[in-house]
Amino acid sequence: MTAIVECKGITKHYRQGSIDVPALRGVDLAIEKGDFASLAGPSGSGKTTLLNIVGGLDRPTEGTISIDGQDLTALDNEELADLRLRKIGFVFQAYNLIPVLSAVENVEFTQQLMNVPAKERRERAKEMLHQVGLDGMENRRPSRLSGGQQQRVAVARALASRPSIVLADEPTANLDTKTAEDLITLMSDLNERYGVTFLMATHDDRVISRTRRHIVIADGRVASDELRPAEMAV
Amino acid sequence: MLVGLAWRNIWRQPHRTALSLSSIAIAGTITVFLLALQQGAYGTMKESVLKLMDGFAQLQPPGYADDPDIRKSISDSGPLIADLVSLPEVTAATPRAASYAILSNGPQSYGAAIVGIDPAREVKVSNLASTITRGRYLQPGDEDAVVIGAGLARNLKLNPGDSVTMLGSAQDGSIAADILKVTGIFSTGSPALDRQVVEMPLVHFQQDFAMNGSINLIAVSGEHLSTINAAIPSLEKIARRNDLVARDWTQLEPALHDVILLDGSFSALLYVSLVIIVVFIILNTLLMSVLERTREFGMLMAIGMKPRQIGRMVWLELLFLAGSGSAIAIAAGSAITAWAATQGIPFPGAEALFSQWNMPSTLYPQLTLLSATAGPLAILVAVAIAGFIPYARVRRLEPVTAMRSA
Ligand SMILES: Nc1ncnc2c1ncn2[C@@H]1O[C@H](COP(=O)(O)OP(=O)(O)O)[C@@H](O)[C@H]1O
Ligand SMILES: [Mg+2]
Repeated sequence: MTAIVECKGITKHYRQGSIDVPALRGVDLAIEKGDFASLAGPSGSGKTTLLNIVGGLDRPTEGTISIDGQDLTALDNEELADLRLRKIGFVFQAYNLIPVLSAVENVEFTQQLMNVPAKERRERAKEMLHQVGLDGMENRRPSRLSGGQQQRVAVARALASRPSIVLADEPTANLDTKTAEDLITLMSDLNERYGVTFLMATHDDRVISRTRRHIVIADGRVASDELRPAEMAV
Repeated sequence: MLVGLAWRNIWRQPHRTALSLSSIAIAGTITVFLLALQQGAYGTMKESVLKLMDGFAQLQPPGYADDPDIRKSISDSGPLIADLVSLPEVTAATPRAASYAILSNGPQSYGAAIVGIDPAREVKVSNLASTITRGRYLQPGDEDAVVIGAGLARNLKLNPGDSVTMLGSAQDGSIAADILKVTGIFSTGSPALDRQVVEMPLVHFQQDFAMNGSINLIAVSGEHLSTINAAIPSLEKIARRNDLVARDWTQLEPALHDVILLDGSFSALLYVSLVIIVVFIILNTLLMSVLERTREFGMLMAIGMKPRQIGRMVWLELLFLAGSGSAIAIAAGSAITAWAATQGIPFPGAEALFSQWNMPSTLYPQLTLLSATAGPLAILVAVAIAGFIPYARVRRLEPVTAMRSA
């Protein structure tokens, strides 16, 4: 197996005034190509912090982190932005989309940042929207899409740039049960069919039960990390 | 890409954008109109003053302006005047000679500036003839005739048809003495002029003052003051060839020039304040919208947009606002000004003030490229420069802090 992400001895301390808040206390973690992993743990356990560090949005206080063998701690802010653009797909809990762009334009956006020719990126964006089941919604702006549809557009966008890994932070937190099920099924399909690597921070059991790798984080440390067969969708 | 995004972003808050646009458009329109009115007023002022006597430019012997000595003269002016009139910008040129003399009528004696003029050519440069209130202006063929200002006429108790004694010093140092007949009395509205100036036919002046056919200066006129201003280099060339100097309107009427400069700098202050207020409003609005979108900017950075790209997008939003607002201002300001220029703007009650400059009390705004664009472009440039503030602020954003902001 090849590790896409390798974290070694990651700590993260936030300063809040004069108080030192330790969010991560030493995380060693490797995410393998094709992983469909959940990062579970109670609120405040450090899930978002770890995801942000893995995705090059934030820097660890100590430790090293590499993506595809590239050491992120050696990169400056511009290079990190470029790494996020090319290697990482993000899906957040909410506010994922650019409100003034249509669904297809949102999906195209990152390719546009990479200067992919217009025709090529438009075709790819349409194909991605088709993959996430949003045919016919291409020209709608986010305000005219439901919460579940918006998350699907976010997934389509995350995949459009062919990233090494998709990081999702509580992607189902704002969705009702049925919609959440559909979204996780979609991601599971993409993982199985195309081998897309997912790491999802969540405390939603519906999500956790559907992943093959269960990483649990507690108090800023990896408490357990198990491979289990994912439950089938009901 | 940034361009399209920026353009759509400004329409996310249509009300706010409409407000920003109108503040730029209104301020810009005001600057267009006021600047045009100001230029119109200055133009009228200058032309009124200069047309009275000075002309739009003059050719003089060197040093004549500082010390108008009758001995500083131009001897063979015929070919010179022909040269001047042959310039396409020059519509007329008229020779003059001038000296100070004492005028007496019985017991009353007053000093006066006696100007010898060529009646046929003078009327093409000076409209003094149109200010004659009693009697008539000088005509070709007049000899020992004078027209005098109303103030001087009152002091000397002279009426048209009366005789007046002149005593002066001729060019050769001899005494210039004559008895002249008042044909007309002019009233220009300028007390200084009306108290001092006397005109008589040039040929007779040259005899009285032993000028030997010479003159002291040539006054030049054109279609507009601006055409003559543009022709100053050509006038200078002709002047140099004849050992003379060319003097433009600022040198002929330095006091008026100073008044206009002073007034211009006061109104510039007004325009600058207007621009600053507009920039402040627009910048404030944009900073508010930047603050509201901080979380969105965090998301944009997360998916790989660089802070400087976001900063540029925000700067573009500001440029679009300012550009559209300025375009509206130029269009609306020009339309309003053009309409006002056909109507004229009356200033009732200002007659007394304006008549000092021999000015009419209805002003016509002058729509030029400068008056139509200077204000709006100043706003555009100022807003563009001020755009560095939101740009710099956005560039400093950290993705995680931005995304955690409410
Ligand atoms: N920017 C920050 N400043 C200060 N404390 C923070 C910051 N981000 C996270 N924390 C703290 O770090 C801890 C972990 O937070 P987080 O990673 O968001 O946890 P989770 O995503 O598991 O809920 C929490 O105690 C949180 O309050
Ligand atoms: Mg979290």
